[in-house]
Amino acid sequence: MYRSLTFAVTSFAFIACAHAQGATQDFSCIERGHYLTTLSDCAGCHTTAGGKPFAGGVALQTPFGTLIAPNITPDTDTGIGNWSDDEFVSALQDGRGRNGTRLYPAMPYTAYTKMSRDDILAIRAYLNTVTPVHNRVNANQLPFPFNIRLAMMVWNWLNFTPGRFVADPHQSAEWNRGAYLVQGPGHCGACHTPKTALGGDKTGAPLTGATLQGWFAPNITANKHNGIGRWSKDDLVHYLKTGANNDTLASGPMAEAVTHSTSQMKDADVAAIATYLLGTGQGGTDRPTPIAADNPTMKVGAEIYKDACAPCHQDNGQGSAQLFPRLAGTAVVQSDDPTTLGRVVLEGSRAVATNSAPTAPAMPAFDWRLDNDQVAAVLTYIRNSWGNAAPAVSAATVAKQRTSLAQSR
Amino acid sequence: MDSKVPLLSRRTFLTSAAILVTTTASVVHGRTFHQGMPWAPGAADPPAQVRPGPWAFFTSDEAATMEAIVDRLIPPDDGGPGGKDAGCAVFIDRQLAGPYGRSDGLYTLPPFMPGSSTQGYQNPDSPGGRYRAGLKALADHIRQSQSGKTLRELSTVDQDKLLSTLEDGSIKLKDIDAKAFFAMLLQDTQQGFFADPIYGGNRDMAGWKLVGFPGARYDYRDWVERHNERYPLPPVSIMGRTDWVSKG
Ligand code: HEC
Ligand code: HEC
Ligand code: HEC
Repeated sequence: MYRSLTFAVTSFAFIACAHAQGATQDFSCIERGHYLTTLSDCAGCHTTAGGKPFAGGVALQTPFGTLIAPNITPDTDTGIGNWSDDEFVSALQDGRGRNGTRLYPAMPYTAYTKMSRDDILAIRAYLNTVTPVHNRVNANQLPFPFNIRLAMMVWNWLNFTPGRFVADPHQSAEWNRGAYLVQGPGHCGACHTPKTALGGDKTGAPLTGATLQGWFAPNITANKHNGIGRWSKDDLVHYLKTGANNDTLASGPMAEAVTHSTSQMKDADVAAIATYLLGTGQGGTDRPTPIAADNPTMKVGAEIYKDACAPCHQDNGQGSAQLFPRLAGTAVVQSDDPTTLGRVVLEGSRAVATNSAPTAPAMPAFDWRLDNDQVAAVLTYIRNSWGNAAPAVSAATVAKQRTSLAQSR
Repeated sequence: MDSKVPLLSRRTFLTSAAILVTTTASVVHGRTFHQGMPWAPGAADPPAQVRPGPWAFFTSDEAATMEAIVDRLIPPDDGGPGGKDAGCAVFIDRQLAGPYGRSDGLYTLPPFMPGSSTQGYQNPDSPGGRYRAGLKALADHIRQSQSGKTLRELSTVDQDKLLSTLEDGSIKLKDIDAKAFFAMLLQDTQQGFFADPIYGGNRDMAGWKLVGFPGARYDYRDWVERHNERYPLPPVSIMGRTDWVSKG
């Protein structure tokens, strides 16, 4: 009896969803698809805040212009109700829309291509159960020449190699599970992998940090200087589960990824992600020489820090666990790209609230109180104090960011 | 009593508000906030910084009188600048030009009855109107009693004498309660001397340096238990302090 029970449990986990279209109303297949949909954060783009699930309408800012995520409810007229299974699988694995049109890579098929047909059909089975919504979305808002879908052929040719995930036999099953989640459904690289001028992934440096939507998604490899190499597995698990740990709190696009996706992952899956990220090669510490404390800019920065920042982040940059992020020794502060820093100081930021970390503390905006020179000075200071080391931030960089943030509000 | 009939008396306002509540109760729903209070990026709502420049409320004669008065109420000495150099007249000028000067947001409809000392000012005139009338009456009085002079043409000794008579009410100004006018001048000058420099007074935090107030800081956890010790950090205003600016 006990034996057959375990058998039933395992077969539940691996239930195949061979035909999502039509017949499959299999509950376990749908449940698995539901979970995969969460892992993949389809809702993050295809559901607007407060809108009907998967009815589309989220506007995505890409370096080339705005794209709107379409309606993927089973509505036959404006959704994907009429799509065949093959068409659906091809959208996720090959970046092909209906009739073979080429999708823009804002839809992260460059990651979803790692997913098996079976996983994708489970997602389809789940999407078939959501309420059909009549909502016509014109995805393509790009300016010429990026609005020409055919251009994607060139893009795909340069940047995209379709192909399923291949496990590394030298690594543990947990590591491989983590690798699959990060590279496939979790599409962490969509934000964390640096991009080429054409917006494709720089395949030589996966997950080493990239700018998007006015934020910098830091290096999440085990690099000890500007990555998360100093974090324990627990630190990382805690961050993904709750949006906060003793070092930092998630905000901006990562707050959304935590809310919709990582906080809802099974514990074993979050642990697998941590094992993979902390167990990947790039453990280097290419640390530049810090700027000296008696540099005039550093001195001004120190005065501003003492008066305006230290009340929360403390004189020694240690912050206060779960409330005020640590600034000493963290990836966010020492990344080459200071985008997140400038934005957080200029317009403030609110950390994510999850059920296990519901406080959502906010950092106040300083745009009205500090001019560009002052923001640059205080950032240069925090990047080069308490053992930190990173290039200075220029007033010109801050000025540009001030303008673009004001425009985006 | 005032002959104007107010459009809406307090009582009718209360009853009409009650009707509003009962009739709308079924459609109005309270908003429920999940996950904390609403927050928006870049939504700080700081006070506008007062910049040096022309007078906003006072005429140039009034301003000259005010600068002389604030410099007698807080005379310059070894401890630092007086009321004039600390910007007290500028502070009062900008306050009178703004909502405070116009009594915006205060209930100023009749009935007007004498209040108790804790009830504050009970008459319809706004601070702006009271300054205008008070300064005019004072100027008229000085011109008549001091052979055509203005206040700033008097010696500081005479200015002090005059202000003392205002303070004890022994001077008689036409239609003006001298004592109340003096009390207002003194209070506003003090506020100009100690308010954050963002409002135009307390220049270079002169007032704060004098009394050792550390300014717009907000974390004294390390100091709560340390009595009778001098706090080492210099004062900081809402808009910072001179060390926030590079001297390079
Ligand atoms: C980062 C944002 C993002 C995420 C996450 C995302 N999508 Fe998309 N998706 C888009 C955008 C943008 C398009 C439109 C692309 C185009 O028209 O070229 C799109 C297009 C599609 C299409 C084609 C629809 C049509 O009408 O052409 C399907 C199907 C689809 N997504 C399904 C999914 C599924 C399933 C998931 C989760 C596994 C998902 N998407 C996750 C942004 C996203
Ligand atoms: C939509 C874009 C996006 C996606 C998808 C995304 N991230 Fe992030 N991530 C960010 C941004 C932006 C930050 C910086 C947030 C901040 O400064 O608070 C970040 C921060 C992080 C951090 C904290 C780094 C540090 O040093 O503070 C970790 C860890 C992380 N992400 C892991 C992941 C993992 C694992 C995934 C995939 C499951 C993922 N992210 C998917 C955008 C994203
Ligand atoms: C009132 C308390 C408070 C003050 C004052 C304050 N901060 Fe913050 N700061 C926070 C909070 C809370 C967060 C987390 C916000 C989030 O994650 O979205 C934060 C986040 C940050 C971050 C991002 C760190 C990370 O790991 O994501 C930086 C950098 C930062 N603050 C720098 C500063 C600087 C520089 C100043 C002074 C100019 C300052 N802060 C003043 C509360 C404060």
